[in-house]
Amino acid sequence: MPARGPRRALLLLLPAALPTAAVLGAALTVAVLQSTGLMPVVGEPDPTTATYRALAGDRALLDGLRVSLGVAAASTALALAVGLGMALLARTTRLGGRLLRAAAAATVPVPHLVGAAAVGLLLADSGLAARALGAESFPPLVAGPLWVAVVAEYAWKESAFVALVVLAALAAGERELDETAATLGAGPWQRLRRVALPMAAPAAVAAGGVTFAYVLGSYDVAWLLGRSYPEPLPVLAYRLWTDVDLARREQALAVAVVTTALALACLLVTAALLARTARTARAVR
Amino acid sequence: MSTDLVLDGLVRRFGGAAVLDGVDLTVPAGGVVALLGPSGTGKSTVLRLVAGLDTPDAGRVRAGGRDLTGLAPERRGTALVGQRPRLFPHLSVLDNVAFPLAVAGRRRRAARAEAAGHLDLVGLADLAGRRPATLSGGQEQRVALARALAAAPAVLLLDEPFSALDPGVREGMHRLLADLRGAVSPTVLLVTHDRQEAAAVADTVAVLLDGRIAQAAPAGELHTRPASLAVSRFLGGVNEVPGAVERGAHVSALGRLALPCASPDGPGVLVVRQEAVALTGPADGDATGTVTRVTPRGARWRVEVTTPAGPLSAETGPGRTPAPGDAVGLVLPPDQRWVVPQATG
Repeated sequence: MPARGPRRALLLLLPAALPTAAVLGAALTVAVLQSTGLMPVVGEPDPTTATYRALAGDRALLDGLRVSLGVAAASTALALAVGLGMALLARTTRLGGRLLRAAAAATVPVPHLVGAAAVGLLLADSGLAARALGAESFPPLVAGPLWVAVVAEYAWKESAFVALVVLAALAAGERELDETAATLGAGPWQRLRRVALPMAAPAAVAAGGVTFAYVLGSYDVAWLLGRSYPEPLPVLAYRLWTDVDLARREQALAVAVVTTALALACLLVTAALLARTARTARAVR
Repeated sequence: MSTDLVLDGLVRRFGGAAVLDGVDLTVPAGGVVALLGPSGTGKSTVLRLVAGLDTPDAGRVRAGGRDLTGLAPERRGTALVGQRPRLFPHLSVLDNVAFPLAVAGRRRRAARAEAAGHLDLVGLADLAGRRPATLSGGQEQRVALARALAAAPAVLLLDEPFSALDPGVREGMHRLLADLRGAVSPTVLLVTHDRQEAAAVADTVAVLLDGRIAQAAPAGELHTRPASLAVSRFLGGVNEVPGAVERGAHVSALGRLALPCASPDGPGVLVVRQEAVALTGPADGDATGTVTRVTPRGARWRVEVTTPAGPLSAETGPGRTPAPGDAVGLVLPPDQRWVVPQATG
């Protein structure tokens, strides 16, 4: 008798879950072990929470936490607003939907590092935008206090991802439902609020959660376009890891563990939100 | 809630070819008109034009004296139920039915209370809390019907709403539609390709052939008094006797057959529904011939007979059925005789 139900689902998931668990699990285990003194670079194992306690009082970590969460939140909010907005607008015409899908599909494979370099050339105070505007005092967008260039790069790339996911979710019959809602007396706004948005919501929540977790753990863009202080958590972790002082490695791994925990928490919140959208979506509010 | 619907010279071209080529049709207030036609003749396009989901190249749509042409779908008051129910998957059954009420600005509690009434009307009050995905096809279509009625439409448009359902469920839906007419008497334009459904549900059946309404009449009249050979053939009529009308009778290879009502003299094709033709002994009857084929048609049999005027068919009930090769007589009852113009072109 073939396996059915949850057992079958788990079996089917194995090919994807196994490598993920192996890579992530091994890395995380080492990170946790090393940062808690159970697997020191030199010397005998000596379990301790000293590294974490030291970090908790360290301004570099707290500032990094603030910047990381801020940049991730701003990038996610912008990407969601732009991606969701574009998808909802584009769906009103067939051609618009096709064009947006093509544009988004072309954007997604561009590596973040290339995107960051492009944004740098565009927004730096000696960049294209500054020259085109000929402004005397161009605002410090790259490496400035507001992390504008970093957020812009993430928002640009991730909005394409959001748009693709939302378009795919809306593709399944949303147009017919939109027509149905219209014949039932719903104007464009009502259709947007009561049909398109509720149908796009699960996809948007999922894409938003993934974007937030990605930006939180991403290193390259912030390193290239951000300030030297405060450092976002991944940049901080990398700097500590490459420090000449080997003792700093434990701190680097502790920062990495904290970052991973945050990303996992974000995905858990996303899952909870998804369950909630599925349960409580109602037109009559 | 009841207003009349008038279609006036609707034209719709797709890529240069006119799918609808001047459709004129009137649905009286509270009446049910079935638009019947072969697949691909633009029946559904007519409904989309009425609902405002498509724009005519020419012609107008009026309801209750109001010109709807050019109005957005949401401002027309024409609810459409299609072949698929198109329920909102993110809403419960009750909230699906409450949708048009909520959209119209009703408070949630009032909208739901009213929606519950409509759900009761289609006999699904106890499924209010369910999700559309958990319903059967027939239940989904009932919810779609309740939702359309909740919109209190001036005109209810039904686009083959029952064609995907099992025959038994379909008959239940026909009864439901009749009950709804008694309760809320909506004006209904129904599109179908099913002759039986059109006859069962509608007061008037309009046959759409080649982009125009070929004939609009009660189903019985349509079958026994078709306006043309094309209508007769589309409705399944197989008996055609070419000849001419002379002083109140049809003259052909069968001889002179008196007609029940006046027809202008000149060439004409006598049509008699095969269901009306009776079999008799070879000595009697208006025509005699040899049985060439007997095919079962459910509880009835189609008997094909070669006569001097060509092949004629009769449908007989269960019982004594002749065998191929038998000589039989055919009775064409005088009140069932009807002459249509010869096909042109």
